Amino acid sequence: MIECFDYLERKQRVIHFNFVIMKEKDAYVDFEPQQLIMYVEKEDGTYGPIQTGSYISKNYLDDFWEKTVRLRSMLLDKLKKNEITSIYFYKLIHDFNDVELSRRTGISVRRVKKHQKVDCFKRARLSDLRKYAYAFDIPVSNLLQTIVVGEEEQNPDIESEKRQVKVKQSRTENPFLVITKIDLNT
Amino acid sequence: MAAHCESGTLTALLKHKGLEITEPMIFGLGSGLYFGYLSHTPNLSFPMFILRTKPGKLRKKIAKRTDIKFNTQRFKSEDKAEQELDELISKGIPVACQVDFYYMDYIPQWERVHANIHFITVVGKEGDEYLVSDSYFPKLARIHKDKLRKARFAGGYLAPKGFRYFIESVPETINYEKLIPVSIKNTINNMIGVQPPFIGVRGIRTFAKKLQGWPKITRDIDHLSHEVMKINVFLEDQGTGGGGFRYLYATFLRQCADKISNKELEEMSKKMMEIGDGWRNISYFAAKIGKNRDLGADKLKELGDMINERADAEEAFYKELKVVINNI
Repeated sequence: MIECFDYLERKQRVIHFNFVIMKEKDAYVDFEPQQLIMYVEKEDGTYGPIQTGSYISKNYLDDFWEKTVRLRSMLLDKLKKNEITSIYFYKLIHDFNDVELSRRTGISVRRVKKHQKVDCFKRARLSDLRKYAYAFDIPVSNLLQTIVVGEEEQNPDIESEKRQVKVKQSRTENPFLVITKIDLNT
Repeated sequence: MAAHCESGTLTALLKHKGLEITEPMIFGLGSGLYFGYLSHTPNLSFPMFILRTKPGKLRKKIAKRTDIKFNTQRFKSEDKAEQELDELISKGIPVACQVDFYYMDYIPQWERVHANIHFITVVGKEGDEYLVSDSYFPKLARIHKDKLRKARFAGGYLAPKGFRYFIESVPETINYEKLIPVSIKNTINNMIGVQPPFIGVRGIRTFAKKLQGWPKITRDIDHLSHEVMKINVFLEDQGTGGGGFRYLYATFLRQCADKISNKELEEMSKKMMEIGDGWRNISYFAAKIGKNRDLGADKLKELGDMINERADAEEAFYKELKVVINNI
C-alpha cells in the first residue's frame, strides 16, 4: 500500500508538468476509525468507488485535538475569571454565531448578544437557559458548572478509557435536574 | 456506504425500489456539481465554500426530470413525525430523513459538526433505537429515538423540520439520451453561466482572492490553521468522493459516455478526473500548511494561485463540454 505522503510527494514533482489521474492503489489510506468512499481510476481503467480511510484524520487528527484542547482551556480560563459567560463558551465550542444560536434557541438575536455579556448573563431567565442547554446538547446545570476530574484539569486531552474516574450525566423527566454519576473506571 | 449522503441515500432507496442506478448517475442527472463561496450568509461564523447544490435540490431535480415519485413531508409536531416514521418502517418502507449531523453519535466525535443538511435512511426499530443506514458509516448503525428526534428537529439554518421522504414509484426505464444533455447543460450553466460573482467559476476566483484576507478575520493562528485545514475536509472528507465531487462527476461523465456511446464525453471524463487531481493537490497543500502553521501571506498566495489555476482549468473544461453537449 502506498501512503498518501508518498503519493503527494510524487504528485508535487509532476504538478507543474502534467497531471496524473488518481489511481486506485494511491488512494488507499489505512485509517479504520473513519472510513469514506472515494472515486478513483481502477486498475482496469474504469472509474468507480473504493472504501478507504480519511487522509486528514489519519495524519492530522492529533493537531485537531491539540487545537480543540487549547481553545477549551483558553475559554475556560476566561470563564473562571468571569470575562466571558458559559453561553459564549459553548457558542464557540459548537461553532455557532449569534444568528444561528438565535435560530436554534428561538431567543432573539438581541437577547442572545446580551446573554453573552457577563453583566447581563444573570438576567437570563431559567427558561432561556433551558433553551441554550438544549441547543448545546448539555444539561441546564452545566451552564453554571464545569466538571473536571483529577488529572483531567492538568491533562484535558487524556483518552477517556485511560481516565481513572468516569463521569456520566443522565437526564431525568425534570428538565432542570440532571443526575451526575461518578464511577471508578475499572 | 456512499460518497455523498444525499445522492447515496437516494441511490440506495431507488435500488431498494428496483431501479438499478449508480450514485454518480444520480449526482450528475440531478446537476449536483456546484461551487459557491459564502461569506455573507448570516448564520455562518466563518466564510465557507460549497461544492454541491443546495440540499434537497438534487432530489427535486431528479423528481422533475424522471418519473420517480417521491412522498415528502415536513412536520410541526415531533410526536407526529415519530409516529409516522414508526408506521412507515413497520410496513417495511425505508425512509430518508434530514437531520443535524452533530447528533449522529455513531460517527466519530471529531467528524461531527452542526449541519442540518445530512440525510440518513431509517430502516428499522428495535426497542428505543432506530436502525440507520448512513452513507458515512460502514455498518448499519443504531441511534436512540430521543437523539433522532433532536436531530430531525434541530433549529437553525436549513432546519430539517422533521423532513422525510420515501419513494412511491420508479419508472421502468430512464431516458438517458434526453436527460444527459439537459442535466449537463444545467451544470455548465451553474459553473460558467450568468451567475453572481460568488457562484461557479467566478466563485472559485472569489474564494482564491478572499482567502488572502482570512488572517484578518480569525481569532488566532490556531483558528486560521483550523479554517485552512477545513479546506481539505470540505474537498475530501465531507462526502465528496474526493477532489471536491470532481471524481464523482468524472465517473458520471464516463457512465454517460457508455450509456449514449459518445467518445467525446469519455475524453471529457478524463479531463474532469485531472481537474479533481488539482483540487486534491489543493487539499493536501492546505492540510500541510495548516498543520505546520506555515500561514504567511506567501503561502496563502500560493494556495490562492492553485485555486485560481483550478478556476482557469474548469472554465476551459465547461466551455469545451458545452461544445460537446451541443453536438449530441
